Amino acid sequence: MKHLLRLTHPIQMVGGLTIWSIWFVAIYSGLSVACSVAPPDPGRDIWTGINLAVGLATLGTTALLLWLSWAGVWAARRTSVVRENYFARVSAGIYLFSAAATLFVGYPVIFLPPCL
Amino acid sequence: MSDIKDATLTPEVQRLHEGMEKVWGNPKGIRALTVVNHTTIGLRFMVTGAIFFLIGGLLAMLIRTQLAFPDNDFMSPEIYNQVFTMHGTVMMFLFAIPILEGLAIYMIPKMIGARDLVCPRLTAFGYFCYLFGGIILASSMILEMAPASGWFMYTPLSSGDYSPGPGSDFWLLGITFVEISALSAGVELVVSILRTRTQGMALHKMPLFAWYILAMALMIVVGFPPLILGSILLELERATGMPFFDVAGGGDPVLWAHLFWLFGHPEVYIIFLPGAGIVSTLIPVFAGRPIVGYGWVVAAIIIMGFVSFGLWVHHMFSLGIPQLALAFFSAASMLVAIPTGIQIFVWLSTLWLGRPRMTLPMLWIVGFLVIFVLGGLTGVMLALVPFNWQVHDTHFVVAHMHYVLVGGMLFPLMAGLYYWLPQVSGRMPSERLGKWSFWLIFLGFNITFLVMHWTGLLGMRRRVFTYDTAMGWDLYNLISSVGGFMMSAGVALLILDITLHFRFGKRAPQNPWGADTLEWAMPKPPTAYNFVSLPNVETRHPMWENPELPRAIYEGNHGLANIEHGRRETWGSDALTGKLRETIHLPSNSWWPLFASLALAAVCISLLVRVYWAGAVAALVAVVLLLRWSWENGAHPKMAPEATLEPSEPPLHYHTMNGPGVWTMSVSHLANGSLYLSLLFGWFYLWTVAPEWQMPQTSPLSMPLLVLAGVALTLGTLLLAKLVGRLRQDVDAGLGGGMYLTGMLGALQSALIGIVIWQAELAPTESAHDATLLVALIYALAHALLGAILCLLQGLRVGHGFVSAEMPMEPVVVLRLWYYNLVVYWTLFVAIWVMPTMLGGAS
Repeated sequence: MKHLLRLTHPIQMVGGLTIWSIWFVAIYSGLSVACSVAPPDPGRDIWTGINLAVGLATLGTTALLLWLSWAGVWAARRTSVVRENYFARVSAGIYLFSAAATLFVGYPVIFLPPCL
Repeated sequence: MSDIKDATLTPEVQRLHEGMEKVWGNPKGIRALTVVNHTTIGLRFMVTGAIFFLIGGLLAMLIRTQLAFPDNDFMSPEIYNQVFTMHGTVMMFLFAIPILEGLAIYMIPKMIGARDLVCPRLTAFGYFCYLFGGIILASSMILEMAPASGWFMYTPLSSGDYSPGPGSDFWLLGITFVEISALSAGVELVVSILRTRTQGMALHKMPLFAWYILAMALMIVVGFPPLILGSILLELERATGMPFFDVAGGGDPVLWAHLFWLFGHPEVYIIFLPGAGIVSTLIPVFAGRPIVGYGWVVAAIIIMGFVSFGLWVHHMFSLGIPQLALAFFSAASMLVAIPTGIQIFVWLSTLWLGRPRMTLPMLWIVGFLVIFVLGGLTGVMLALVPFNWQVHDTHFVVAHMHYVLVGGMLFPLMAGLYYWLPQVSGRMPSERLGKWSFWLIFLGFNITFLVMHWTGLLGMRRRVFTYDTAMGWDLYNLISSVGGFMMSAGVALLILDITLHFRFGKRAPQNPWGADTLEWAMPKPPTAYNFVSLPNVETRHPMWENPELPRAIYEGNHGLANIEHGRRETWGSDALTGKLRETIHLPSNSWWPLFASLALAAVCISLLVRVYWAGAVAALVAVVLLLRWSWENGAHPKMAPEATLEPSEPPLHYHTMNGPGVWTMSVSHLANGSLYLSLLFGWFYLWTVAPEWQMPQTSPLSMPLLVLAGVALTLGTLLLAKLVGRLRQDVDAGLGGGMYLTGMLGALQSALIGIVIWQAELAPTESAHDATLLVALIYALAHALLGAILCLLQGLRVGHGFVSAEMPMEPVVVLRLWYYNLVVYWTLFVAIWVMPTMLGGAS
């Protein structure tokens, strides 16, 4: 199983988007449950624990994905096997896209209140 | 080069071909129903899909006739509701998905250098499920009982109170039946692409079309189960009164919308991806150069496959969801434009850098580019929440959807039809008739749907059956109707062209378009065994790099060119590198797929007419037939007349522990897991959101019995894992006894779950809580029973000598099921007992 973690393995091509999906499900379901169970006072606008949690999750996930993208580029440079180089480069690109997607989807927390 | 079939063969090679034909050939007469060959079944899928397309098209013309003039009474509102519901249903479920699956079933083995798909009997089973499900659904129109709640069947409109007739039942049961077909095709396409590519065809060397189909198949596997679950729940609500979608009973109608669109939005991409696959296959051929950015396209396919699952709520923007959540889905909806844009620029770059030839298939590709880009642009507009609210449920959305689906699927499909027609018939298409047909359809389409954007912006709702002339929509609707009939004329010409083609088309040379992929290395029309010998392919463009390949294959100069054993064989290769791993022995023609699907059709009809005892009997018969089918497998004498191999060939797959059956079981569990997660989603959704949901202070389920059942399951799994571990060391002593013991543990688990259900005294028709609990427990019970039965059958098979240290694959397959059951059971225990007990009746 250890070989699956190498950034030259094709499974990495779905790694970034899997992380993105988990983050996406977590923030959407977390937001829904939080708004259902403990909705914050609308007067607090964006200054709520929900916004903070979603914002931190977004930044953390983006940072992780950016690091994985960078690591993918390095893995591609290090290997001399054409097939491994190919998968590492494609994976790095998809990690980068996933990072951008995380930031793009998550950034509305800085201007929208959570439960209105 | 003329067709390879015209080549002169040595007597030895001639005998080889004759032997192959004897083993692989299709029987005639009534036994044609037993055929499992992918070429034949793929064609049956496509022809049946085309017939449903004509039915769906006819319904569209009825709609356009009704809407052509204001205050028109051509149809009553009741009939109109049935017609527009069935138009959408037929086009989405009985035409688009099946015809694309048929194309993939037909084409994939030929492109990857295999002789058939990995589970040929499953292919045939899928076809019959599709055919019978389609007939059942379509028959509702003849009976004037067709569903009338729209193709997405929103509750409560589709529930018993507002749709009391059998229309919704036809939809729910028929579609679920058809989806068995989609899932079976999805599973085997995934495994076939990953495990049966010819020697040397590494993952990054396979044709782009195979990447697209791999993504589509995986999306079917993950995306269809939410709708299957939703359909089961809604049918249970309608038939027995379990209130899953009824607010008063603790349910929520919005749950249906979630489950439907969890399937429905990915389905748009499930339809688009094969279309884009055709485009990515054809453009390099007609540009005369390799595609620019193969890796970019692969990345775009993967991104599209994932992101499309994160957009479903954009169909529900007007349902009252918090703004922040709307923003998440709005942003995700815009994101999907990026992978789409990557592909469009890749296609344009390939054309720009190549020397494009404007042939008939390319004409359809150009039509695709124009229409799909326009549909994509309105898609980005609809991703913006304020605009979406303005045009929600208007003809603007109808126009957008048709631009995306007709542009993204129908036009590429037509391009593919004309491109691969010589491969099917051995004849070239008619350029003149084909161009007339194209222009009529292209212009007719744009006249119909471009204008429809304005009709929508002027406020015309999508489901109104007529309108007042004072609304100012008269002219636009008339123009749309004229365009619709123009398009129909184009389709009629297309049918005429295809019909004449098989009689009058010019004979096609071996590689008529100068293509690069392996399907053009075959005789035309194709033989039942595809390739008499299987080549070593280490390039993305085998036909460009070795134009003599068809001859070498046809003369039997490559691998597996031996038929004296009488088996249907193809290679099993490593999913990543394409190195040979085993010789896959494929099953031959059989009645079991037809009989099993007939039994399932009987289940469907019994439920439809609400004769439940007959449904139970038919379901039992179906299970027995499926198990009997599974019995004739592996080393069963009917399957393996002889088990000898050439010393140079890899072992037969059932002599290994990682054959395609193991992969098929794993991929099936992706679908099963998706269904289970949807069920968990439903449980938590109703718990947290449904306004009248009642969580009891104490769980009605017996904790000790649930834990005991879990212990039996855990012990059974450990025992089975130990038996498999011993098989890995070539030890099979005590295998049969161990299998029986494992089966008994499974039976104990089943009995305990049964007692839990009986003791709980649930009231499933009174509360959504009890109804959901009951469905979850029945799900666990069904899996426990299946695990037990399969282990008991394995014990019997050990006794018959079909399973042993020499043939160890089947226990590995069964172990996958037990692992799945283990994870599902304990997570379910946490979800339905631990969490409610910890949180109590909090809501």
